[in-house]
Amino acid sequence: MSLNKIEAAQGWRVRSTQDLAAGLFMIALAGLALFLSSDLSTGTLRQIGPGMLPKAFAWICAGLGALLAFNSLRYNGERLAGWSWRGVIFVLGAAVVFGLTIRGFDVGPLKVPQLGMLVSGPLVVIVSGLAATDVRLKELVIFAAAMTIGCALLFKYALGLPIPLAPWLLGI
Amino acid sequence: MTEMFAHLALGFGVALTLKNVALCFVGCLVGTLIGVLPGVGPVATIAMLLPITFGLDPVGALIMLAGIYYGAQYGGSTTAILVNIPGEATAVVTTLDGHQMAKQGRAGVALGTAAIGSFVAGCVATVIIAALGAPLTRLALLFGPAEYFSLMVMGLCFAVVLARGSILKAFCMIMLGLLLSTVGTDLETGQERMTFGFPPLSDGIDFAVLAMGVFGFAEVLRNLENPEARDVVKAKIGRLLPDWNDIKQSIAPCLRGTFIGGTLGILPGNGAVLGPFASYTLEKKIAKDPSRFGKGAIEGVAGPESANNAGAQTAFIPLLTLGIPPNAVMALMVGAMTIHGIIPGPQVMTKNPDLFWGMIASMWIGNLMLLIINLPLVGVWVKLLQVPYRLMFPAILIFCSIGIYSVNNQPVDVAFTALFGLFGYLLIKLGFEPAPMLLGFVLGKLMEEKLRQALIISRGSFMTFIERPISAGLLLVAVAILVVALLPSMSKKRDEVFTE
Repeated sequence: MSLNKIEAAQGWRVRSTQDLAAGLFMIALAGLALFLSSDLSTGTLRQIGPGMLPKAFAWICAGLGALLAFNSLRYNGERLAGWSWRGVIFVLGAAVVFGLTIRGFDVGPLKVPQLGMLVSGPLVVIVSGLAATDVRLKELVIFAAAMTIGCALLFKYALGLPIPLAPWLLGI
Repeated sequence: MTEMFAHLALGFGVALTLKNVALCFVGCLVGTLIGVLPGVGPVATIAMLLPITFGLDPVGALIMLAGIYYGAQYGGSTTAILVNIPGEATAVVTTLDGHQMAKQGRAGVALGTAAIGSFVAGCVATVIIAALGAPLTRLALLFGPAEYFSLMVMGLCFAVVLARGSILKAFCMIMLGLLLSTVGTDLETGQERMTFGFPPLSDGIDFAVLAMGVFGFAEVLRNLENPEARDVVKAKIGRLLPDWNDIKQSIAPCLRGTFIGGTLGILPGNGAVLGPFASYTLEKKIAKDPSRFGKGAIEGVAGPESANNAGAQTAFIPLLTLGIPPNAVMALMVGAMTIHGIIPGPQVMTKNPDLFWGMIASMWIGNLMLLIINLPLVGVWVKLLQVPYRLMFPAILIFCSIGIYSVNNQPVDVAFTALFGLFGYLLIKLGFEPAPMLLGFVLGKLMEEKLRQALIISRGSFMTFIERPISAGLLLVAVAILVVALLPSMSKKRDEVFTE
């Protein structure tokens, strides 16, 4: 909102931690992009190289970020709100667990066998369900079973997608 | 004229086969089913349901997707009326009077009016698309790379101006989307760009992964944080069909809304989002008694809902004729079409006329389906709305996970989506609205390609964009809207429009 609020600047102080953080975030991303594309040739306007657009976009992002950060010192805006780690850990963790277990995975010493949807499905539902503050475990377990069976019927049989169900048990 | 009817006849011939009607029906049904869930907008719905169309032929898949889209739109209106939670920006206006009507025991009439208004708008919009499709496609064939580039610049400028919240932040999102689109192998030299040397990234960031991370997972995180006060209407739904009095009151707003929404929807750069706001403001201005608005005026449902649907449909025009998606939903459609091997653009109509006209005809059928499905099923949607969120989001999550896995059968995609979920959550926390980013991301690759081509043709001179009249005109429009939006008096008005 900061840009639209025309308020006289009286002294320099942080008037919107959200905008300041947003500006710094844009600058950081632009910096990362510039670092990663530093070895790509820019080329000339006549023959644009692979690096020209990424670098150009990154510089514009950095400029916009700087403007945003600068504006946060001039205009009042929102404050940065806290994170809810509970949601991040359980919800995103659930998705990662699904990715790891659906077809198995080898990362260094860690070996996960191919478990298939009949295991990954309930895992996703239960792990993510723990993110809710009003979680009821028994209800969640029953729901997980029902959802998994429903999804197996829908995706594997009705839609014919090649998704493993339980190769270690059923062989499919 | 005769050409148009011949085309429509061809389209209905394709769309009215038993299989395609069934696909359209299923699409509308599941689209509404998911779209009704509070906090799940059309973008998330389509992203989630994309995999169920993978096994179909391209024509069937697109017909089903269009059905899902209309279903999701209508589902959003249902939630807006019954629960006062708008699924997306365009449904905000419906909450104003629709929810009031529901509180007064006229939820059924509000839903019925929304459905009928949408149907009327859909009928008109179908004809508009059919009429404009052929001439605009011919126009598109005149476009060279320079014109395409300028058109996309204009579209992105519109998207910046029409985004919710700060213009500067919307600009940031567009540029971030463009930057993300450059990740992956360079098309001309084959060099890898910003991939961290990580093989799955060499094809670029997958569109479905980005969309589902930012709109599916991040949205769940956002909703989890705000313990919802879901106030599902306790009053009875009442009869669904509006009576003669209601019809008389709503027919003019409905037609005006259709006209406004349909016109705005054609604009590249998410003009459709303005339709409902414009329609609501107009109805309030010309009403004999403006104080009724906000207290359950039926015109406040009929007008914006018609505008919404008309805009949702005419937004297909830039996509189908020019190959340029005007908003995030259409960006998803591009993704879906590419998966089926169709590159959207003027060549679709000449190369796959059955697909082009079949899809347009199925739009009309889809609107009819919505009317047929929704009126008797309102009771089911109300039941669904009472499912607590603690069960709803795990269901969304398992759907998303299976969906992303099925796009490429790559488990690592699911983990990537989680990463983008985190990224999206961060953006939300920083006060960014992620929809423009998706548009920038989709247009980015095409823009780069056209820019390079244009500059090769002009031997490295940027003047080509100004020397060619069409291109210059488009850029002029882009500059003009940015300047107008940044004028202090206008930016104040813009704030008012989006907060009302």
